[in-house]
Amino acid sequence: MTNKKLLAGIGLGLVATLALSGCSAAASDGKVTLQMVESLTSPARTDLLNGLIGEFESENPDITVELVSPPTDQADQKIQQMLQSGSGVDVLEVRDLTVGSFSTNGWLSDMTDEFDGWSGWDDLTDNAKDVATADGKMYYVPYGFYGISLFYRTDLIEEAGFDGAPQSWDDLVTQATAIQESGSNKYGYAFRGGSNAYTNALLAISAYVADDIDVTNAYKLNNGDSIFSAPEAQDAMDTYLTLFEQASPPSSVAWGYPEMVEGFTNGSTGFLLQDPEVIAAVQQSQSITADQWTTAPMLVGPTGKAIQPLATAGWGTAEASEHKAESAKLIQFLNSGDASIQFTQENSLVPILTGAADDPFYKTGAWASYLTMNENPDVYITAEQPRGVSWFTEWAGKADTELQQVLIGQKTSEELLASWDAYWTEKWAAE
Amino acid sequence: MINVESRAARITRIVFLGLWLVITLFPLYWILITSFKTPGAIFSYPLTYWPEEFSLINYVTLFQKTDFGTYVVNSLIVATAAATIATFISMLSAYVLARFEFRSKSAVLMAFLVTQMIPTFIALGPLYLLMVKLDLVDSRFGLTLIYVAVSIPFCTIMLRGFFANIPDALEEAAMIDGCSRFGALFRVIVPIMKPGIVAAFIFNFVNSWNELFLSVTLMNKDENKTIPTALNGFISSFNIDWGSMSAAAVLTILPTMVLFAFASRYIVQGLTAGAVKG
Amino acid sequence: MSRRMTNVTGRPAIRAGAPRAFPPDRTRRRRQFSMRRGLTMLAFLLPAALFVGVFTYYPMLAGSQMAFRNWNLNDLTNTDWVGLANFRKIFADPNFYVILGNSVVWVVASVVPQFIIGFAIALWLRRKFVFRGLYQALIFFPWAISGFLIGILFRWMFNGEFGVINDLLSKTGLIDTPIPWLAQPGTAMVAVIIANTWYGVTFFAIMILAALQSVPEEVYEAAALDGSGKIRTLFSITIPFISTTLALTVLLRVIWIFNFPDIIWAMTGGGPANQTHIVTTWMITITQRGDYGQASALGLIVVAILLVFAAFYLMAIRERKGANS
Repeated sequence: MTNKKLLAGIGLGLVATLALSGCSAAASDGKVTLQMVESLTSPARTDLLNGLIGEFESENPDITVELVSPPTDQADQKIQQMLQSGSGVDVLEVRDLTVGSFSTNGWLSDMTDEFDGWSGWDDLTDNAKDVATADGKMYYVPYGFYGISLFYRTDLIEEAGFDGAPQSWDDLVTQATAIQESGSNKYGYAFRGGSNAYTNALLAISAYVADDIDVTNAYKLNNGDSIFSAPEAQDAMDTYLTLFEQASPPSSVAWGYPEMVEGFTNGSTGFLLQDPEVIAAVQQSQSITADQWTTAPMLVGPTGKAIQPLATAGWGTAEASEHKAESAKLIQFLNSGDASIQFTQENSLVPILTGAADDPFYKTGAWASYLTMNENPDVYITAEQPRGVSWFTEWAGKADTELQQVLIGQKTSEELLASWDAYWTEKWAAE
Repeated sequence: MINVESRAARITRIVFLGLWLVITLFPLYWILITSFKTPGAIFSYPLTYWPEEFSLINYVTLFQKTDFGTYVVNSLIVATAAATIATFISMLSAYVLARFEFRSKSAVLMAFLVTQMIPTFIALGPLYLLMVKLDLVDSRFGLTLIYVAVSIPFCTIMLRGFFANIPDALEEAAMIDGCSRFGALFRVIVPIMKPGIVAAFIFNFVNSWNELFLSVTLMNKDENKTIPTALNGFISSFNIDWGSMSAAAVLTILPTMVLFAFASRYIVQGLTAGAVKG
Repeated sequence: MSRRMTNVTGRPAIRAGAPRAFPPDRTRRRRQFSMRRGLTMLAFLLPAALFVGVFTYYPMLAGSQMAFRNWNLNDLTNTDWVGLANFRKIFADPNFYVILGNSVVWVVASVVPQFIIGFAIALWLRRKFVFRGLYQALIFFPWAISGFLIGILFRWMFNGEFGVINDLLSKTGLIDTPIPWLAQPGTAMVAVIIANTWYGVTFFAIMILAALQSVPEEVYEAAALDGSGKIRTLFSITIPFISTTLALTVLLRVIWIFNFPDIIWAMTGGGPANQTHIVTTWMITITQRGDYGQASALGLIVVAILLVFAAFYLMAIRERKGANS
């Protein structure tokens, strides 16, 4: 019978512990607690944020910040649930993908008033200012921009007889095909066929139609049609698919970001088109040494131009927050001075502060290509993708699926482009 | 049991059991050696089946970079409490369902069965709103309550089976001797059913220990996270931190393995508890 | 575990399974008991009913009303009642039927191997051997791992270029060129099923082993005396004896596997080209688009399918039992 009592005792004890720990500490004596939620979570970045938050708290002893870091896969939904419940969020990570829907639902606060007269405003680059004040409201202030460049193996190119990195998509196909040796686990290009595969296909298509592209909507041509209707788009897809068939690992149909990065860092693939976060991962690799790789600017199309997608994310305030002034303070802290520089450097982002790009950090080695691109805006044209529309996630899923269908031979690229063209034309007509 | 086993049968048995053991253990072996490789070596090709250099760096990083110790404590508390409470409550309802006949009995059983058919994903949103209203978000107590609710249906069905194997003469006799039904249950039946109860407890514990989606939905602050959330957190949008993740996985699997090992004889015994041979 | 041949007051113990008898000297007390019984019953059932009602049924019902509304988290300005529109959208989507087919394949192709292997293991574990306890503990461990972790692990093991499985297959000379497991619809399905089988054999093995151990020795002895061979004994005596347990275990596993998105989601995300999606992983995709209305409708469809299946299944069992006895 002692077993029963023991069990009951443990049960009661645990219940008691839990019940007590369930009580939330009440806020007292003028101290403000902010709850900050991130969505592009990674352990390293959470660590960094906690450090920055610590600095903020010591400069502002009346404010405490609690950082909530859900795993990336569920984070966006979790934020949606929290915002829907109307409580528990003060500062949150707002992405260009989510700002549209969050603002439509009235979940974001327009921070124009709180930022009026902010001393750090003039330090922001024009791009950053444009994003922050889109549509006349300030829903979020970007903390950095994601760039894209071509990672490549200098030694493999040399072996294959080329004297420089490929500049255009056609060059890439030539060089990657030359490197590829099936059967010995040497591949040309780390092809992205899995999650977000459409992004790379879009890069090719945009580069080919670069002369006619509408820079305010990277999916539109200047005449209002979608970029998928142009004959150049078909050329782009043909080149892109040749890249897959002749120069990529066969199972890259299912490759997502992690597989692509592994393909390059373990030394078996010659080319990788990705953003700067990969730099840190490659530097850690034990399979390739620092003098075996570097980066080059994005690939241009037949007319010698490429489109920079300029994806971004930043910090915003929830409409339901009861501490909007303090939230704005935190955001201002994170997006100015050393905090911002540290954040952009450690997260491999293009900085938002003017002059930050002059830092020697960005001038060396793998970062140099990003500078090249920023210094030649006529070649590497910035065009804004319509990532804020409420159906963008649906588009991404559909695009990925149809691209995979082409890769496994269930669809032709003509059908693909027709389908994409029809999709966007319909959506724009319904707007 | 037929005691004679031909040599051929014996060899077949040993071969298959051995093969299955290898198949079962291989992934565990893989996680184990991955956790002992340095992060750079994990991605090297060709694959190494034995680490070239043993390194504990993943384990060190795990405890330095994240609050892994806290997560373990959280999981322990929540899983143990939920399993205990759920087992207890399930015992009560299983008892009733095994012993008594009443009109709505099959409806009740069906109601329990239907809960297994509901995909968790639908209920997440409304559940979150409910917990916000009850002010139970981000608390281990709230999470425990949910896990109890989730565990009860299967546990009841399982325990009901055990109860049905025990003749009711036992508690009838105890009641004649003056016990209340509750007392009869706990003083007479439970000791006999101990292995079965242990089995039920372990099932509940493992399910709560490994549960991910509800935990991510309900817990916010870092200090309240459970282990599965932490494991999932090593997958960021651009990277899978294999080093830390395998170290964490090893630390997560080993306790449950030990628990299983200790209780495996109970689990099997328990499911036949109370079989009285006349 | 003591086996008493008589109960505490010295009366002969009633054999398990014998019909409950009410001896005449108890009829008077029966009426007094029924009131007390009723209250006891209620008290015992109440905690379970409360928990399940509040934390499972209430959110489910609240969630299902979204199925009849236009409920998209990306644009909540319009949550009008739309009746069956979400359902119509689902049935009009050609993907849905592929996904239903996948779900059936997923369930059947997982349950059958799990059952057979689990049964075989259970049979073999009946016989004592050295280290049997340790062996049991080791092979039951897959159950202790979470589904999502298994998915991630097998995703890397099945990687076409750098995965362990292709490496082993080519080193042992079984294949010449690496199989792009997750890149082709057919092999991707095989891969996820293998992962699921690896995971699920344990449950069957445990349940069946337990059921087998409840078969009394006398039954086997009688069969041996009758001259029945091992295989005949297995099929005509052992299996019928434990048929209820077998049937219930299979039912539960079918329901759980149908509803189990973790492994597929982590391994393939439903790809390539939606070819490994089952209904519950498709639900996750739709949820990530923000369309909670459609996702809830899908959830209700899942419950309906499983309910119908369970109803037919249980009826079939009851008929079979009736025919056998």
